[in-house]
Amino acid sequence: MATAPARSSSAAASTYLLVPMVLFFALLIVAVLRSESLVTATGLGSAVIVATPLILATYALMATVIAGRGTVDLSIGPLIGFINVTLVQLFGQDIISSPIAFFLYALGVGVLYQLLMGLIIVFIRVQPIIVSLSGYLALSGINLVILVRPGGTTPEWMGDWGLGISIFSPVTAILIIATVAWLLFTRTAFYGHLRLMGSDERAAFTSGVRINLVRLGAHVISGLFAGLAALTYTSLISSGDPTQGTTYTLIAVTALVLGGASLAGGRGGAIGSLLGAVNIYLITYVLATFNFGAVQSFVTDLAYGTILVLSLLLTVVLPHIRGAVQSISPLLFFVILSIIGLGVIIHATYDYSAPAAATGTAAAAATPTAGSSFIFEQTGEAATPAGGSTLAGPLAVAGLLILSVLIILRSMVAQAGKTRSLSPLVYVVVAAFILFGVYVVANPESVTGLGGTTQSAP
Amino acid sequence: MNPSVLTALKWTGLAVAFIIAGIGLIFGFYQGLPAQQVILYTAATFALVAWTWRAFTLRWSEGGKPAAAERRDAEGNLVPTAGRAAWRSFIRAYRAVIAGLIILLLVFGICSITITGFFSVLNIISLLVLIGLLIFSAFMSKFVVENRSAFIGLTVLVGLFVVGSLKVEGFIYPENIKSMLLFASFLGLACVGQTMVALLGGLDLSIPFIIGAANVGLLYLIGLGVPGWVAVIMIIVVGVLIGLLNGFLSFRLQGQALILTLGVGFATSGITQILTSLGSRFAGNVFGAVPEWLSNLAAMNGTTFGLDVPPVILVWLIVAALLIVGMKNTVYGRYLYALGGNRTSASRLSISERRYWVAAYAISGGVSALTGCLLLGWSGGGFIGVGQPYLFMTLAAVVIGGTSLLGGAGGYGFTVIGVLVLQVLTSFLVGIGLNFQWQQFIFGLLILPMVALYARSPHIRTQV
Repeated sequence: MATAPARSSSAAASTYLLVPMVLFFALLIVAVLRSESLVTATGLGSAVIVATPLILATYALMATVIAGRGTVDLSIGPLIGFINVTLVQLFGQDIISSPIAFFLYALGVGVLYQLLMGLIIVFIRVQPIIVSLSGYLALSGINLVILVRPGGTTPEWMGDWGLGISIFSPVTAILIIATVAWLLFTRTAFYGHLRLMGSDERAAFTSGVRINLVRLGAHVISGLFAGLAALTYTSLISSGDPTQGTTYTLIAVTALVLGGASLAGGRGGAIGSLLGAVNIYLITYVLATFNFGAVQSFVTDLAYGTILVLSLLLTVVLPHIRGAVQSISPLLFFVILSIIGLGVIIHATYDYSAPAAATGTAAAAATPTAGSSFIFEQTGEAATPAGGSTLAGPLAVAGLLILSVLIILRSMVAQAGKTRSLSPLVYVVVAAFILFGVYVVANPESVTGLGGTTQSAP
Repeated sequence: MNPSVLTALKWTGLAVAFIIAGIGLIFGFYQGLPAQQVILYTAATFALVAWTWRAFTLRWSEGGKPAAAERRDAEGNLVPTAGRAAWRSFIRAYRAVIAGLIILLLVFGICSITITGFFSVLNIISLLVLIGLLIFSAFMSKFVVENRSAFIGLTVLVGLFVVGSLKVEGFIYPENIKSMLLFASFLGLACVGQTMVALLGGLDLSIPFIIGAANVGLLYLIGLGVPGWVAVIMIIVVGVLIGLLNGFLSFRLQGQALILTLGVGFATSGITQILTSLGSRFAGNVFGAVPEWLSNLAAMNGTTFGLDVPPVILVWLIVAALLIVGMKNTVYGRYLYALGGNRTSASRLSISERRYWVAAYAISGGVSALTGCLLLGWSGGGFIGVGQPYLFMTLAAVVIGGTSLLGGAGGYGFTVIGVLVLQVLTSFLVGIGLNFQWQQFIFGLLILPMVALYARSPHIRTQV
């Protein structure tokens, strides 16, 4: 019952993914042309570390935004800050220190806060934005009381997380688990109810959806993501910072909108939010490669503002050109764009003295067919040049990958009408690639230094 | 109601007033306050209690049905034979008051335990005043059906004033009131646009950025040698233009006005800073001399026609009066309400939604720019972040005042009350030595119950 509306609307919503996708690849190409260090293992590692809290915060916003009634959780930034400073303070007083306690505490506080907010919205029936405004003021005030100025320390086991040397840090694992969890969640009936409620609450109520429960559920999910975001944020800065609230809220809302979600409710998704948050990171990254001197932060402001307004305007235009856009499958679009993007990346970073790696790179990177593999796309790319000295292995890998990509594309075209029934297969293949990518990265490291070839390129 | 009961009630009231005034008298002398002050307060307390008592008894004796039902509740409470059902109905009828009482007492208890020296006579009196106001407003709000938010706001204002003058030395001195009004007028002017836009069901988050940009831009223009008043007019025109841009862009994206205005705001402050700091070593700050008349306009020691009051307060009063009267009586104002209330019926009356939406945003931009200019006169130096506190403060003032963010209900008069409540509360919190973060925390906790008292949305059942 619930999957039927979800499917039809997801096809309509996926056209909104085109804008963030185009933006993502445009930014990626510019970023790589400006500075090649982004596509090395270190560059990607730090990119993941920096972007993950923002991505998770955007997920947290997304869960409640879909629920409708204009629920833009302004308090998400201060909530992350609150969990951050309390974690640091509790650790400083030796009350909690083990990873399990950290996780339980962060998730627990996130869920409790969001549940409280949800209860107020559902039972006292105050407008959500007022509740979140109230939470914003209260939390950002109390954060500064708990921790007067940025400082404090995090436990040792967390210290390694924030280094960002390798792509396969626990932060990446958290990001992947969160994304996969959301994708799995979109297949439940509850998600269908949530979207129905977000787009038309009265219709949901009259068709027997228990809207109070659904709304509370959305808040609980949002709380879980907020807890994870706070954990990764803590690991990123390795200390407590009570002042980040405003910025984080505004950036997360921006990322959400850049990802094609509607603040009016009912529309939004993990892939879009992921792309939106990564876009924000890339904007900052690209702008950082230019040297604007003292006005650097103002240029960033200007760019945020302009890109935000432009992408919003594009979402206005989209329905008018839907006839033309409808035939484009976002998945194929993504694959094509990623091939183009990788062509540019290879061109920019390619060491022409070792030609064998090229095919391997393109193939390994053209695999992402679901959001969960997104990070690993770059992995394969970064890893295969490392094996450039031994030709046989990468070539075989490349052949295999190209073959499987062709199979996927073929079956996609064949079953274009029934994408849902195909998706398990896609997930299986993607999972296989992920495992394979891990294997490739883990083993050839003994051959040459990881990313050495890439960095020596002109 | 028979006369004997009425007489008994009257005498009981007088006795209660006498006792309360007596307690106040004793405490007053115990505190060692000046005798005139104690006598004045005692008389005022006596009169107040007696008047309240009389008002209530008269209402109950003459009142119609609701009053009768209420009385029965009270009796059921008193007479034990009525038993549980009466208790339950009593609790149900006054659950908000009871919850408020419990929360007040809890907060008081926690504070007394954790903060040394909190448990003092003055604090107990403050608590009694607060409880009295809570009960008073809860009972009175049954009779105030229209404009309940204004009533509650005024009650809170009175409570804050009483507690403030008890707790804070010099709270009701002219100097302090002047400074409160000065800051309130800045906040009030910044809220003009937010109120207009909220009446249409939108939000404008570009206000703080426009304020900051105007602040920096004005000083920059003056530094370039443009005459002061020309520069102010130019800035206001640019503000209106940004507002127009906001309006046009957000018209098709009304659900997302929040984020769109934010984007425009980011861009505005970015451009302004890039333009003003080209060739300057100090990005973000512009240095220069503020004209004499501008600082007189907004500074604390400014004078209006020889009076020792900053003219900006007068400006605010005039703007407020114009808006309150204008919104009630002009076509523009009525159509604005019509649009906010129901788009469909407004369009049946051939009211152009686009024109009013864009105009509201344009006004918002212009007034924000004006506020930025005035803030330059107050601070004497350009700073882009000067508007930052107004980002959510304008929203808070509008919401506390009682203008619905869904549009169609409220008005600038309500916002004025909201602004005053926020300002007096700030002054009070500063007076008792709390710093900015505690103020923010308390604001956050205050908004929710105040809004919950008068701006609850109807249950979904009633909307189907």
